[in-house]
This record gives sequence, structure tokens and C-alpha cells, in this order.
Amino acid sequence: MLIDTFHYVEAERHRGLEANRQLEPEAQLVQQCLRGDGAAWEELVRRHSRRIFNLCYRFTNQRQEAEDLSQEVFMRVYKTLGSYRDIYGAFGTWVTSVTRNLLIDHYRRTRRDRLTDSMEDVTTQVESKESSGMRPDHSAAVTELGEHLQIALAKLSPDLREAVILRDLEGLDYSEIRLVLEVPEGTVKSRINRGRIELARVLTEMGIRPSYRN
Amino acid sequence: MNWNCEQIEASLSDYLEGALTPEEAAQFVAHSSTCAQCKELVASVRGLIGAMHALEPVAAPVNLMPAILNSTIGPRPSSGGWRAWFGWTRVILQPRFAYGALTVLITLGVVSQALGIQWRMPTVADLNPVNLYRSADRTAHLAYAKGSKFVGDLRVVYEIRSRLEPSEQDETPQKAPAAAPSSPGQSKTPITSPLNRAESVENYLTRLASGVWIVPVRSMP
Repeated sequence: MLIDTFHYVEAERHRGLEANRQLEPEAQLVQQCLRGDGAAWEELVRRHSRRIFNLCYRFTNQRQEAEDLSQEVFMRVYKTLGSYRDIYGAFGTWVTSVTRNLLIDHYRRTRRDRLTDSMEDVTTQVESKESSGMRPDHSAAVTELGEHLQIALAKLSPDLREAVILRDLEGLDYSEIRLVLEVPEGTVKSRINRGRIELARVLTEMGIRPSYRN
Repeated sequence: MNWNCEQIEASLSDYLEGALTPEEAAQFVAHSSTCAQCKELVASVRGLIGAMHALEPVAAPVNLMPAILNSTIGPRPSSGGWRAWFGWTRVILQPRFAYGALTVLITLGVVSQALGIQWRMPTVADLNPVNLYRSADRTAHLAYAKGSKFVGDLRVVYEIRSRLEPSEQDETPQKAPAAAPSSPGQSKTPITSPLNRAESVENYLTRLASGVWIVPVRSMP
């Protein structure tokens, strides 16, 4: 148990170092973009497009929507690049913040559509995946877990969902999440904790017990 | 005072991330190890966090980045900067280019062997434009002569073969006089035979020329 905790803390520290290493060059790239350097913008897009797409995909559970939203995020980032300041944190955090705002807007926009959708669709989706049987190889099992996770995430409230995604799937630390969500760190911790417990319960109800073997 | 299930739930993430004090952690373990419900909850959330951390990011669509760039900075100009000049070098880094280059080299080697070209290290004299011209002229004439000889040889072989083994085309007109004995004055060799043979040779050479680019069919003697 203690070893698990140690590995977890080490992984967090490593992620933090990675983030710091990217900070300085990205601030320079932003300055170059503002001077009209297209190659610098291309480099920023290359670095963040996959991460932002994943964030959108985990939140919406729709590839096409995630693609459209990712494009929209970068359009907004490009238009407001001049307003980016260091006080917003690292450039990546700022982009995540823009993404989160767009995702929430999108969630509110599509809320009515979702309410009209029958929840049976989701249930049917889960049942069909369960009846397909376990595939033998590990990567297939991981893919299946990812699919189940997507369905379970969709059942969480947006507040809990975004907190869990940012923490456990995007690997942001609490201070970064606080900046992105614009809520106190205590609220961030509480949402993440409640989100994890809720997610574990939903997965248990779906008959899935996630396990992690290093 | 021992912790209850609500406290375990509230402190679960802190415990799993090692953020509890030793005393709090001891209280946490004391309760969660005896309460079956909390024990199950701790195990499932720990498994969930580990599984989520191990989850690979989803691959972004291939056209996402070009679409983003097009919608922000527009279509990138292809004629500006050093990237435009050296952009083609990216192709070299692809494995299929290496495969293609190797195939071309092997083909060139085989063809040069067939043409009798002998390779050696170049000298300074080889770089003289006059020598380069002479060398190219000589190679071209040699190739032309070899091609001409090859076609000539083929023609001779075909002529000999057609005389030894008359084709069906030649046999058909020969049977016609046999079927008509009432015309004794007619020659055994049909009039159309040499003409047909010449046409066949021409057709054969044309077909050959379509496969061998170096043979100028029209200028043949």
C-alpha cells in the first residue's frame, strides 16, 4: 500500500517536472506567435492538439463533437492569444481553461437534446458491450475499460466529471485545476474525491471492477 | 475516537495520495480494514485511479491539426522561407523512400551490368565538360549500336525460323492451289507470302520496340 502511494507521488512529481520543462519554451512560442510567426503557432498546436482532443472526447464521449470542439478551442485561443498572461499559469493550463469553458458552454447548449434522449440508449450500449465478451489480449481489455469508463463518466455530473478528467486522465495538479475551474482548492479536492467514488460506484453497477497491475 | 464510514469516504483521495498525517492514516486503516464496505470502496477507487492513469490517450484524428491550422492561420504558404525549399526532405525520412531508393539502385546496377558499364572512382579529368560529353556520346552510340545489333540478330533469327517452320499464315495460301488442281500454271509459292512475312517482321519489331525503348524502329536499315 505504501509502495503504491510512493509510486503515485513519484509519478506526480515526474509529471510536474515535465510541465515545468515545457513552460519556458511555450512562453517564447506565444511571443513569437504574437509577432506573426506561423511556425510557432503550428508548434503550439502540435503540442496541445492531442491533449485537448482527449479532454473533449473524455467529456463528450463523441469523437466528432470532440473534433469540432478542439478546433473551436484553438480558434478561440488564437483570437485571444494577446490576452494571455503569465498570471493565468502555464500556457497549457490556460488552453485547458479555455477548453473547459467551451465544454461547459457546449454542455449547456446540448442539455435539452440530452434530456430528450432516453437513458435506455446508454443502458443498451453497456449491455451490448458486456454481451460481446472479454477479448483475450490486454490491449483489448484496456480499450474495453476505456469504453466503459467513457460511459460511466457520462453519468457523472459535469462538475465531478471535469474534475476527475483533469486530475486522473489529464494529470493536472490541484493548483492547475484550481486555475482552470476557478474554484478554491478545497472544492477541487472535494469534487475529485466525490467524482472518483461516484465513478467507482457506477462502474460497479455496470459489473466492471477496474484493477491496475503495474 | 474511531473514524466512521463518512470520514473514510471524505478522506479517501487524501489517503490514496499520501496526504494524510500518520495519525489520520492509522485511523483510516483501522476502520477500512475492519469495515467490509469501506474496504471494498478503497480497493475499487484505488483500482480505478490506477486504471485511469494507465489509460492511453486517444489518438487524435489525422486531419485535426491541418483543420485547426487552416481555421486559424489559413492555408500555409508553400513558397516562403527555408521550409518551402527543404520541405521535400521530410519525405526522405520515411522508410518507404529508403525502400524505393534501394530498389532504384539495384535496378540501375542490373541495367548497368547488362549494358556493360563498368563503374570506377571518378578522377579530376572525368569532370572536364569535354570528357563528360565524349563519355556520354560514346555511351549513347554504344547503346544504340548494341540495340541495333540486338534487333538485327533477332530479325535474322526470325527469318531463319520462319523459313524452317512456315507459319500457319503461310500454310493457308499453299493449301488453296492443292485444292484447285485445275490451275497448273500457278506457282507453289504464293505471291502474298513474302509480303505477309515482311509485315509480320514489321509487327514483331514494332512490338519489340514498344518494350525496348532504345531501339529506333523507323530508322532501322
